[in-house]
Amino acid sequence: MPFRFLDNVAIADVAFEARGRTLPALFESCARALTEVMVDRRSVRPRRVERITLTSDSTENLLYDFLTDLIIRKDVESILFKEFLVSLDKSGRKLKCVARGELIDRERHRLRNDVKAVTTHLFGIKRSGKGFSATVVLDI
Amino acid sequence: MLSNFAMKQVSDVLWEIPPSYKPGMRVPARIYANRELLQAMDRIVFEQVTNVACLPGIIRYSYAMADAHWGYGFPIGGVAAFDVEKGVISPGGIGFDINCGMRLLRTNLRLGEVKPKVRELVDLLFQLVPAGVGVKGTQRFAETQFEEITKWGVKWCAEHDLAWEDDPSHVEEGGYIKGAEPSKVSGQAKSRGISQFGTLGSGNHYLEIQVVDPARHFDQVLAQHFGIVHEDQVVVMIHCGSRGFGHQIATDYVRNFEGGMKRAGIQVRDRELASLPFNSREGQDYYGAMACAANFAFVNRQVIVQKIREAFGRVFHRDPEALGMHLVYDVCHNIAKVERHTYDGSTVEAIVHRKGATRSFGPGHPDIPPPYRSVGQPVIIGGSMETGSYLLVGTQRAMEETFGSTAHGSGRTMSRTAAKKSIRGHDLQRKMQEKGIYVKAATMDGLAEEAGMAYKDISQVVETMDRAGISKKVVALRPIGNVKG
Repeated sequence: MPFRFLDNVAIADVAFEARGRTLPALFESCARALTEVMVDRRSVRPRRVERITLTSDSTENLLYDFLTDLIIRKDVESILFKEFLVSLDKSGRKLKCVARGELIDRERHRLRNDVKAVTTHLFGIKRSGKGFSATVVLDI
Repeated sequence: MLSNFAMKQVSDVLWEIPPSYKPGMRVPARIYANRELLQAMDRIVFEQVTNVACLPGIIRYSYAMADAHWGYGFPIGGVAAFDVEKGVISPGGIGFDINCGMRLLRTNLRLGEVKPKVRELVDLLFQLVPAGVGVKGTQRFAETQFEEITKWGVKWCAEHDLAWEDDPSHVEEGGYIKGAEPSKVSGQAKSRGISQFGTLGSGNHYLEIQVVDPARHFDQVLAQHFGIVHEDQVVVMIHCGSRGFGHQIATDYVRNFEGGMKRAGIQVRDRELASLPFNSREGQDYYGAMACAANFAFVNRQVIVQKIREAFGRVFHRDPEALGMHLVYDVCHNIAKVERHTYDGSTVEAIVHRKGATRSFGPGHPDIPPPYRSVGQPVIIGGSMETGSYLLVGTQRAMEETFGSTAHGSGRTMSRTAAKKSIRGHDLQRKMQEKGIYVKAATMDGLAEEAGMAYKDISQVVETMDRAGISKKVVALRPIGNVKG
């Protein structure tokens, strides 16, 4: 798994550490981890395609904005995603993502927690030997 | 517990950390806890409460209540009052779920009448009150209509047949915080709010049918003031807040504040302590947006109450008025408000931050509705699904000591993952059924995460605050039915 949940970092909330060989792979891992908090991704079908384009002032803020965007889509459009294909420009401040998922189906989807926000607590991207890692704490 | 420096013991339930603890502390920190709670308290609470003591314009003390635990920036269970002229406002001192709060609704029904119908009631409530991940609200609004809701709070409900005549006066601030500025709220936040109108949410939010615990009916005279007249009277408690709307406002302004702080040259010890002068443009913008979220949360709880009245009416085939379903009260526990306080003979106007803390105004305060004014404000403290909750009353001592504030709940001691590893949702549901609590949850995982063992003992928290005299016990409430988001 390119992510693992961290116990006892945020006792009332959920924290995870995600990894990726490249920055786009790291963003994809984070998006999958976020989604797993909300739903068992195996129960989601990739039936609808959404194209997400974002720009921010730093790579870290771009990751924060990307995850926030997915939370907003869950609340406003009732959509959860199964797959993410992320590309970043050279500056690491512009993102394009093709996300595939479907509208929430209470009967079929194994729903979990309603994530409300990404926090800035411990939030950050680190370069590691084999690529990149990120720590994210979600407000539940 | 802190061991390497002098934490002064003020009483058996009050401790003080002096400003010498760390550079930059402007005031001492005060922690309300008995020895056992203090020893169990996460050490990070001491760091956080003393970090807050470093913020500009803080008055008297930085407080941690008996239920304090780690939070983002400020501890949860934290109270801090800042001078309106020289002090700051901090989104981290309010929490992501702006105006998360508790509402208590009474009925004139008794346990014997409700018990046989609990399953039917809970199932109907689950159907009427949307709960869980990505759930849609009960009504849709155009943006301009939604802005009116956020501007006027429960006043809007009263004008749209969504409130009884005496509802607004039984809500903190009359269910409407002045100064709401919808123009200071992002389009994204509004979209999230519009889609979640009247929803319960998930996590630790719930709607619970409870019964007065005859063995813990502490003050019958006060209980009667609050409409609790029988030893086994049934009440309904709601715990929820401003949903994604408030969270998006907090998210937006934590980022905005970072820019403002760079420009103002303000440095803080933790990114989540982002704060700016209350009277700065950005500070006022945040306050205007925060008030919108607070008003939305009041409306959300009001809309849910209307659904509860409908459900009881349908199940008991009686008009909800005839069932005596009036509000006991509604309190905020994630909020900042401008309040006037007098202590040591001087009066100050302060922006009082309560994050996981409840207002606890004592007898005679003009902000308490007339029927309760002579006795003090009702304080509603929610416990875990299994252990029950409390109705308390505010005190003069809270006015003198804590800017009229007390604790808010029990606080987690076990992570969500650990709770899920310890018990399966279905097993917990069965166990609760055996205890006489019928639960309906949006997800079984979510239910397991809220198991009683994952929380502190609420009785110890309530006892500590009672002993400290900043809120007094009135009655304990035991759950019999629960809808969990």
